[in-house]
Parts: sequence; structure tokens; C-alpha cells
Amino acid sequence: DDEIHVRQKVMLVDPEEEAEFDREFRALMQESLDSRKLELRARPTLNMMIPMNVFEGQGQGHGSGRVSEGESGDEGTEYEEGGGRKEVQVKVLVKRGSKQQTRQMLIPSDCSLVQSTKQKEAAELEE
Amino acid sequence: EETGDDESYEYGKGDFMEHACKYCGVQNPACVVRCNVPSCRKWFCNSRGNTSGSHIVNHLVRAKHKEVCLHKDSPLGETILECYNCGCRNVFLLGFISAKTESVVVLLCREPCLNVNALKDMNWDLSQWCPLIDDRCFLQWLVKVPSEQEQLRARHISAQQINKVEELWKTNPDATLEDLEKPGVDDEPQPVALKYEDAYQYQNVFAPLIKLEADYDKMMKESQSKDNLTIRWDIGLNKKRIAYFVFPKEDNELRLVPGDELRLRYSGDAAHPAWQSVGHVIKLTAQEEVALELRASQGVPVDVNHGFSVDFVWKSTSFDRMQGAMKTFAVDETSVSGYIYHHLLGHEVEFQMVRNALPRRFGAPGLPELNASQVFAVKNVLQKPISLIQGPPGTGKTVTSAAIVYHMAKQGQGQVLVCAPSNVAVDQLAEKISATGLKVVRLCAKSREAVSSPVEHLTLHYQVRHLDTSEKSELHKLQQLKDEQGELSSSDEKKYKALKRATEREISQSADVICCTCVGAGDPRLANFRFRQVLIDESTQSTEPECLIPLVLGAKQVVLVGDHCQLGPVIMCKKAARAGLAQSLFERLVMLSVKPIRLQVQYRMHPSLSEFPSNSFYEGTLQNGVTINERQSPGIDFPWPVPNRPMFFYVQMGQEEISASGTSYLNRTEAANVEKIVTTFLRSGVVPSQIGVITPYEGQRAYIVNYMSRNGALRQQLYKEIEVASVDSFQGREKDYIILSCVRSNEHQGIGFLNDPRRLNVALTRARYGIVILGNPKVLSKQPLWNGLLTHYKEHECLVEGPLNNLKQSMVQFQKPKKIYN
Ligand SMILES: [Zn+2]
Ligand SMILES: [Zn+2]
Ligand SMILES: [Zn+2]
Repeated sequence: DDEIHVRQKVMLVDPEEEAEFDREFRALMQESLDSRKLELRARPTLNMMIPMNVFEGQGQGHGSGRVSEGESGDEGTEYEEGGGRKEVQVKVLVKRGSKQQTRQMLIPSDCSLVQSTKQKEAAELEE
Repeated sequence: EETGDDESYEYGKGDFMEHACKYCGVQNPACVVRCNVPSCRKWFCNSRGNTSGSHIVNHLVRAKHKEVCLHKDSPLGETILECYNCGCRNVFLLGFISAKTESVVVLLCREPCLNVNALKDMNWDLSQWCPLIDDRCFLQWLVKVPSEQEQLRARHISAQQINKVEELWKTNPDATLEDLEKPGVDDEPQPVALKYEDAYQYQNVFAPLIKLEADYDKMMKESQSKDNLTIRWDIGLNKKRIAYFVFPKEDNELRLVPGDELRLRYSGDAAHPAWQSVGHVIKLTAQEEVALELRASQGVPVDVNHGFSVDFVWKSTSFDRMQGAMKTFAVDETSVSGYIYHHLLGHEVEFQMVRNALPRRFGAPGLPELNASQVFAVKNVLQKPISLIQGPPGTGKTVTSAAIVYHMAKQGQGQVLVCAPSNVAVDQLAEKISATGLKVVRLCAKSREAVSSPVEHLTLHYQVRHLDTSEKSELHKLQQLKDEQGELSSSDEKKYKALKRATEREISQSADVICCTCVGAGDPRLANFRFRQVLIDESTQSTEPECLIPLVLGAKQVVLVGDHCQLGPVIMCKKAARAGLAQSLFERLVMLSVKPIRLQVQYRMHPSLSEFPSNSFYEGTLQNGVTINERQSPGIDFPWPVPNRPMFFYVQMGQEEISASGTSYLNRTEAANVEKIVTTFLRSGVVPSQIGVITPYEGQRAYIVNYMSRNGALRQQLYKEIEVASVDSFQGREKDYIILSCVRSNEHQGIGFLNDPRRLNVALTRARYGIVILGNPKVLSKQPLWNGLLTHYKEHECLVEGPLNNLKQSMVQFQKPKKIYN
């Protein structure tokens, strides 16, 4: 009966509140975008090289990549979750001050981010 | 793994871990992020609960916060989310991209980094930019959504509760949801009244409202810190260091103005120690670049340009002066005359004539001839202890005010005090009064002394510096020394200050008229002055307590000038506004049946343009002081649908459009048509300074500016010189041609800002030669006033559609207007 009690408390989304929130959300998004367009007359310089050690195993020497729950194994491996959804491990490249670090993370294999990598890998294999 | 369902955790008692979601209490580290705004630092989870966005997104949107940090026990560890390339931390702009060949991903901002061409040559795949916030929720693989079980156990917060608690946090960041139930929190403050028993009751009503507004203002400003600023250094004429940087506008709520105090910070690096300095804004450019004059010139890291932060330094001065004025009003019997005292409180008082000899002529030297309604106003005002003058747009309010002040000053009642809420209005008035030959001193706030002014020669600080008598040479010498060295020895500084104060006093006392803002009338430099005659211009744009500041210096004769059919004072705190703080003293006096004297001849608008405003806002009493011929622009070839009627309503059916990314909210068609109209004007020989584009929303304003300079058919510079601004910032001003882009046409929400008749009045009465309105008649016609406007345009065959070079009358059907409930 605990669950029934909880379900009774569920409220519906008020359409007017929702519209109002939506409006504010989009306004904020647009303002963010526009403010950047105005602000950056000078285009930023790029510093987007991928540090070589990213390719060498577990990113030694630059802070150990944190390993997310229950995974081990090599990169690029696909994991099957309880629900049957596949996940793939990626490295997230971040900066700590001026230092580059990587962190490991699982993302769903149907995410557009990994899709393209996988397609290319497949294409390369075929060649 | 076992958490145990019987765990006696008391939800809703504020007994949470620090990182529990402030809305619902979920505390799984993988599901929460911290808002990274220094004044906030609250945690929120990524579940939606009963709202359309996840809790963290709800918070960011409602609080207008934009930076977050992940939990230390989350997969990525304690990480502030930022653009890998430029360090931008605005989560609304961030998204992931991945490397072309490796399983490496990185956060990158959409603008500008994602669009940097050089990136295409690198190893990154730009085709799959994956926004951090997707469907109003953080990417669920980055910040997990709490499990169903966790959500069921969490507090079920509604969107309304979220709004309320966010509102509460603006003034009390430590408030909890439980505080919403506490008595008093949700209570509305006591509303303003028409009449008051005494000045103590008056103070009891207004003091809490001013406090609310002050608290809100403080919270707003102090949460506006900005990081990663790029500074351009310069040196001012007074040898002071000036920092130039871009301070992007966040929303409609906060606008930087000259005189604002900001703190500039640098956190230091290997070669520079940490540094900070306070300064005043002395200039704002159209490109939103701010010039900040620093107080101290020493130790400024001028060889560094990047990585600066800026905070607002909130000052309570103006609110303190309002509170002070109310107190003086209550306790000091000499603050205002008995007649004024009772009248302001709404008591019945027997009418008193002011016994002063009337001049034979009511005009004043140096001013244009007065028309009949202006003469009537001057004559009336001079005989009455309290009067209201209503000046509709373009009716010569300033000239009339200057003539009144001229005659008052000639009556020998002592110095006249002239105020207005805004510096711009004070400057205009000071200039006109000075033209009559009276001796005028314009008193500026100390923080604005470096701000350039069109009446600099009238300002007190200028007059002190340029006083050229031998006895002042000591002050002059010390001033020179100070300018050269930046500072004086402490004994010299003492001497300098004393001399300066004495000189200031002397100059002020010898003036016929002192001009300052209402808040400026509370300046300590005027503390020992008494003013029997006070004129306040634009008084309908100031709050009552603000108006009181100049009055309590001994007022016996008060003239309030304004127009209650145009915009009133800006009140940020909704609660205070609802309680009536937005109602001006002028308006209350009108309700107490003090009849305003209306100036009736307008000299601004082409007669076709004044017709609708006159009928809708001024009972048809507005007469035209300009003829059609005087408002014809020879040689300007613009496709007005009806010759001699330089106006049209341009039907825009382009709905608000959401871009493919689902993030953009705009009326692009309208913006594109604004550009076309502007271009047509420019091609026909109109110069940029003659054109004003009015648009209600900051987002659209920025979009139009950007769109015109990128897509404009003519030289970019031309478009940059065109002023695009809100209705509010056009109040009190005029342009030859106005283009009004209504932008919003939202079926659920109504028409927002355009609902206020006073704002529509202001928007419609800025143009001298011609006006073009862009909007969606289907939506606008639901509002009665807009329905009237549309009908007016239609009847005059000025409701059109189609391409600009082939405008056709529109047959669009209007909707029935809804009744207004007030
Ligand atoms: Zn926050
Ligand atoms: Zn939550
Ligand atoms: Zn960036």
C-alpha cells in the first residue's frame, strides 16, 4: 500500500507552467548564444590536439582515469547492461589548469557520438 | 548494496546530505550536479519529477545560472563543465564531440569554438556535436537520472513550488522548501493605500516595500559575476587606469549604467600576484563594451589581458536615502509645509493660493515661445502649492518646466530644486534652464564625475575645478598635484578636501537652481540646504519614496511633471510591484482628484501617427503642432502603402520558430523583414541615426543586431550605427523612423510585454516621420487595445502583407478581443 500512497501524490504537469518554462529556457539559450556572438569578435585560437598518451592504454602519468561502476577491460569494448542496452567505453578529455587529463566513461552505444566512430571503424575494416 | 527500505530517513526535514537535490532530496552522487554560481552552490538532480525539465535544468533556467560542477564521486570526478578549447562554462552552449578515429570525447562550446574552421582539419568529428542539455535534461549518461525507486522516495515538488522557492532564494539563499509553508514567507506585503493617517503609517507601508526591492536588487546584482573576461587597458585623461571589456547582457532584468561600481579581479599566475580593484563604469558602447575607471592605479596587471573576473559591488545608497526621506517626512515638522504634508497623505485640506506676483509674460528668455496650453500650465502652477503637469509625447514638457523654474527663481523665494529620476532627464532640464540665463549647478553623484555629460560646464565638479580666482589657487595647486601624482600626502589631502568642500558649498549657494536626480537630492553635500520650491520632471517614472527625497528639504511649492499614460517606475521585485510600489506619487495624487494640467500640442509626430495615440490614451485631446508638410521627407522614396500616411502594419505570419537543434527561440522572418525595411530606408537616403528599431526581448534585440550586420545588403557599419533597443530605453526620446518588431506571438502566453497599454503608447509615439509595425494580427487582435490599433490601420488601408516592393492590403481575420479584468 506504500506504493499506492506514493502514486496518489503524483501531480500533472501544468501546461501553462510548462509553456512559461519553455519560453524562459529558450530565451536563456538564445541569449547565451547571442552574447557569445557579440563578445567574440576575435576568434579563439585552437588548442585541441589530443595528447598522445591518450592512445597509450590508461592515460598514465596524467591522473588515473576513473573507472566507472563495474567495468574493467580494454577500451572500445562494448558492455551489456542489465536491460540489454549496450554501452561503450570512451575517454573524456578534460583540462585541469593547463594539464590535459582523460577520464573513462561508459556511454550508450546508440549515442550519435560513438555512432560515427563505429561506422568509420567499420568502413576502415572493410577497405 | 542493501540500503534497507525501513531506513528512518526523514525526508522533507532538511536532514539531507549536502549534495542532496535541493528540490527533491535525491542524493545519489551519480545523479546530482552542483550549480557553480558562487552565491548559489546548490545541488540538483537530473530527474524531471512532475516538471518538463530536469531539476537541475529547472534551477538553471529559473535562477538564470549557467555553470555546473560534477560530484567528486561521479564517473568524471569533481569537474566544472567547460569548453575544452576556450574555457566557456555556459552549459547552454556546451556539447560533446568525438575524435574521428579514437574513443575520445571532449566538451566544446557551440559558439564560437565549434565553428572554428581550423578544427575541421584536426582529428575531431564536428558533424556529431552532442549538446550537454538535451530535451531539457542533462545528457543521461553524464548525469544519471535517479532510478524509479529513488524518485518515488524523493519529494514530489511541483513547478509552482519550484518557482516559489527560486523566488525565495533570490533574497534568502538558505531558504528551504519548508520555509514556503511558514507563515509570513508567502504573505504579500501590506499594499499601498490612497490615504494615510499620518507619516508614520506611510512609512510603515513603504519601508518594507523599499526593503523588498533593495534585497532583490542586491541579490540580482551580486549574482552577476562573470569570469574569463578579456581586458583591453587604457589610460584616461585624468591619468586613471581604464579597463575595457565586454559584459554581455544576461536578460532584460539587469542593465549596467554609467556610475555602477564593479570589482575587477585577477587570480594571479606565476608572474603576477592575485589582484583586485574596484572601479566605476564611465561608458557603455553599443557593442556592450564597458569602460571601467579603476580607483587605484597601482599594481594593475596591465601586461595581462585574459582571465579576469568581475563582480557587481552593490550599494544601498539610493534605498537608504528613500528610507531616510520617509523618516524625515515623519519626524521633522519642517521637512515640508503643513499644506503639502496633509495633501501628500490624502487629507482634506482647504485650498490655498500661493501669493506671489504673477509675471506679465509667461515665456522665458532663451526658450521658444510657449503655446496656449503651456502658458496656461505655467500660470496655474505658479499660483498653486501642488500641481501636476501631464506632458504627452512631444508636447514640450522640458520647455514648460524650464519656464516654470525661471519664474520661480525670479520670485525670490530662495534656490529652486529641480530633479528627475534619470540623469539624462536632469541634464536636458539643466541645459534648458541654463539657457534662460539662470545660474545652474548640476550636482552629480561622485561615482559619475568621470561620466561624460552634455552639460559638463554646469556640473559642480567642473565648476570647482575651473573656478579661477586667486584665493582658490591653493585648491587649484593641490588638484594639479593630485592629478599628476595620483595621490597626496595625508596633510595635503586633508587640506585639499576641506578647500574643495568649502568651494563646493560656495558655488552651490550662489546658484539660482540646483539640478540633480531625485536620489541625488539626498547627497550629503545638500544636507544643510533648504528648498521651498521643487520641480520634479518625469515624476511618473519614480517611486513615491524616491520622489520624497527632494521634497523633504523644506518644500512649500511642488510641481510634479510627467505622464501617467507612459511607462512608470521599473520595479524588479514582483512582490513589491504587486503591492503598489510601481505606482508613482503623481498617479496617487491624480486618484486623489488633483487634476493634472495637460499640455495639448504635440510637435513630434506626423499627424497621421498621433491620431491613434491621441484617441486611445488622451481622449482625443492631442493637437498637432506640426503639419503634414513639415513631416514630409522630400527625396525619401519609401513604399508607404498610402501616400501622406507614413505608417503601416506589416503582417507577419511566421510563427515563433524552433530551430533544428531545438534550442532557438526566434521570429526569424520578422528579423529578416526588419533588415529589409532598414535597407530600404538607407537606400532611399535616410541615415542610420534617424532610424530606431524597437523590440521587446533582449534575445531578439541581439539577434536583429547580429542578423543585420551579417546579412545586411549594405555596408556593415551602417547597420551597426542603428539603435536597436527595448521600448523602455526609448522612453523620453524620439527618432525620425521607428520600426517596431513585436516578436512574440504565442497562443498560450498572450503577448507579454505588449499587454501594457502604457508601453504600447510609448512604442507608438517615438517616431517623427514614419512607423512600421511588424507582428501577427491573429494573436495581437485578442487584446482589446491592439485590436483597436489593427482596426485603425486596416481602416486606413495600412494593414499590409507581401514583399516590401509589392505590398498588398491584408485580408487577415482578427480575433475577438478578450475582456480585460483588472
Ligand atoms: Zn544556482
Ligand atoms: Zn531532484
Ligand atoms: Zn569554446
